[in-house]
Amino acid sequence: MTARELIAVEGVDKTYGSGAQAMTALEGVSFSVREGEFITLVGPSGCGKSTLLQILAGLVPASTGRVAIDGAPVTGPSPDKVGVMFQDAWLLPWKTAIENVEFPLALRKVKAAERRQRALPLLELVGLASFAERYPDELSGGMRQRVAIARCLVQEPRVLLMDEPFAALDEQTRTRMGNELLQIWEKSGGTVVFVTHGLTEAIYLADTVFVMGTRPGRIIERIAVPLPRPRTIDMIGSEAFGRLRNRIWHLIAEVRT
Amino acid sequence: MAGWVVRLSPLLFLAALAAVWEATSRSGLADPRLLPPFSDVVRVLAGLLQDERFRGDLAVTLSEIAVAFAIVGPLGLGVGFFLGESLPAYRMFAPALHLLLSIPKSIFLPVFIFAFGIGFLQKVIFAVTLAFFIVVLSGIAAARSVPAGFTTAARSFGATRLQIYLRIYLPAMEPLIIEGLRMGLIFTVTGVLLAEMYGAPRGIGRVIFAWGEMLRMRELFAGVLLVVVATIIGNEILRSIEEFRRARRRGLR
Amino acid sequence: MSGGRRQLIRLAGLALVLAAWEAAFRLGLLSPIIFGSPSLIVRAAASDGWTFLLAFRVTMFEIALAILIAWTLGIAFGVVAGSLPVVARISAPVLSALIAVPLVVLYPVLIAWLGLGAASKVVFGVVSGIFPIALNAMVGVQGIDRGYARMAAAMGANRRQIMFQVMAPLALPAIIAGLRLGTALIVIGVVLSEMLGSTDGIGFWISYHRALFNTGQVYLGILLALLVAGLANAALSLIERSYARRTVDQSVM
Repeated sequence: MTARELIAVEGVDKTYGSGAQAMTALEGVSFSVREGEFITLVGPSGCGKSTLLQILAGLVPASTGRVAIDGAPVTGPSPDKVGVMFQDAWLLPWKTAIENVEFPLALRKVKAAERRQRALPLLELVGLASFAERYPDELSGGMRQRVAIARCLVQEPRVLLMDEPFAALDEQTRTRMGNELLQIWEKSGGTVVFVTHGLTEAIYLADTVFVMGTRPGRIIERIAVPLPRPRTIDMIGSEAFGRLRNRIWHLIAEVRT
Repeated sequence: MAGWVVRLSPLLFLAALAAVWEATSRSGLADPRLLPPFSDVVRVLAGLLQDERFRGDLAVTLSEIAVAFAIVGPLGLGVGFFLGESLPAYRMFAPALHLLLSIPKSIFLPVFIFAFGIGFLQKVIFAVTLAFFIVVLSGIAAARSVPAGFTTAARSFGATRLQIYLRIYLPAMEPLIIEGLRMGLIFTVTGVLLAEMYGAPRGIGRVIFAWGEMLRMRELFAGVLLVVVATIIGNEILRSIEEFRRARRRGLR
Repeated sequence: MSGGRRQLIRLAGLALVLAAWEAAFRLGLLSPIIFGSPSLIVRAAASDGWTFLLAFRVTMFEIALAILIAWTLGIAFGVVAGSLPVVARISAPVLSALIAVPLVVLYPVLIAWLGLGAASKVVFGVVSGIFPIALNAMVGVQGIDRGYARMAAAMGANRRQIMFQVMAPLALPAIIAGLRLGTALIVIGVVLSEMLGSTDGIGFWISYHRALFNTGQVYLGILLALLVAGLANAALSLIERSYARRTVDQSVM
């Protein structure tokens, strides 16, 4: 039984400015994501992948085209359906870890007891339950991102949009966080759109990789990743992985010349 | 937003204010006896500027400001340079400086009157006292802003102390000096006007205050308008000079 | 040197100064009218202490009201203006231009409109202090990384929530710096306006006794005014410290 289509993007353009100074960030982007899929968007810098993510998140309007999540067109942020994560966690420095996770609920005026009840299990999920009362400046980069993940999930969204969330971390932490993310995803279900400029990360995490080109930003190719789950580190050294990686690399290299 | 709008926004703001002023007064929304129309006030001001007595008062105020500024500028900057360059001197005087800076000196106005009466001298000394510390602070900042490398380089090709001062230090400090003088001028003007309003035989401050007491609103607003416009224009001119000189120095840093 | 010892030395220094002051008075070294003495102040407190205490209450009330209004309006305007780039770009030059105006010149207008009672003092206090408060809040909010606002928007926060639950707390150090300066100006503004024209308050009694050459009372009043200014500053330090935990190190994300 195939899962239904959860995210639908049709003919999306994004242009900044007008007339002679117009800059096309995205052109003719169309794709769909099925429920429960983990897809990655990979491409060189400037290919518009972050812009595309922000359009999906409802933070930036598309110039033309249609974007729909769960059937409903995207007009603005809908945090109960879509959770967003960026490269920086942007945790509020005067709130503890748990208070940061509760923040979206506090914005909705959810009562304190219920907030705590919903937030604490998520901190446990990311392995930071014992750091609940710590402040962001007491946490490492990886830990802050984990708090951000928990915060993302607190409104139980169906979709997670992540814009290079691990880019600022060192390689080992990045790999570890990637695995943890996969575990969380498998445990809680949900659909993930993950933006990265790392080819290895893109293939390792995804069911499907969307390769993007630049000038103008668009989707060049859609590549399915046939590797079994759960993913393990040694898969990265395998031949199949290597072939996928080469293929994507060439696609990107061709576009740039 | 168009660059010129931003640059001229103070002027546009004042123009809008004048328009609202005129409208509220003429329409009767505000009591025209309490808020005379802008056009009337301008007319009265024009008349005042030709009145001998008013010009006399204006001359008194301007001369008080000029003399006070002529004293506090060089004095404050001199002290500031000295403290900025000599670390031991700074360490010795910094606590006293900051203490005196934090005390609101205008409260001591009555003591100045006891000491110097209510004449020209008192206004000047009071204004100098008010402005002195700000100028000193700017002088310290200016002296510290000169990268040490400049003087070493100059000394390496045999420049004398005086040459170093005139040709390197002073030009390098110029923007901060101008800013310090600008702040000093603001405090000087405030000091002179405050002292005049408190008690003086002549001067714009006294005249404005008297008009207020007599409820001669049109003259009062004329005087206020003159002071407000003159100070804003003066400040903006100084600020443009400061920015211009600062921009020319961008290469130095 | 430990804090306790430093305090002791400071107190000893203060006692020394007071003793020297009194000695100078007794020996006739300094003009008693200009410089007064500690004993004169004590005598003034004995004879007019009660009046001054009541006046103290009046002044505190005016200052408190002015602080309430200026803080609220200033911070609100600053935060809103800082969050809306268009407003910020226009407001910044306008506010900087207005700082040059010697606000004391507006006081006669306030007396004419609001009389000599508390109202004119409160309004003058607000006008004196509101500019640095608004300007600092605005600049503080502008300096915040937009990522915070974007994160909050992604979580579904509306405009008002972003401004006051995210931007304002992040801008707190800048806001508090503005409050410090603004509050000092409010205190001075209220006392000065009382000195210039009032029916009660510390400033009024300072002026009253100045006219009578009662140096002791004048200094008593000045001391009380300095006390008020000191209290306000201390209160702000307290606020600053209680929010120290929540300061923003922009590198912490």
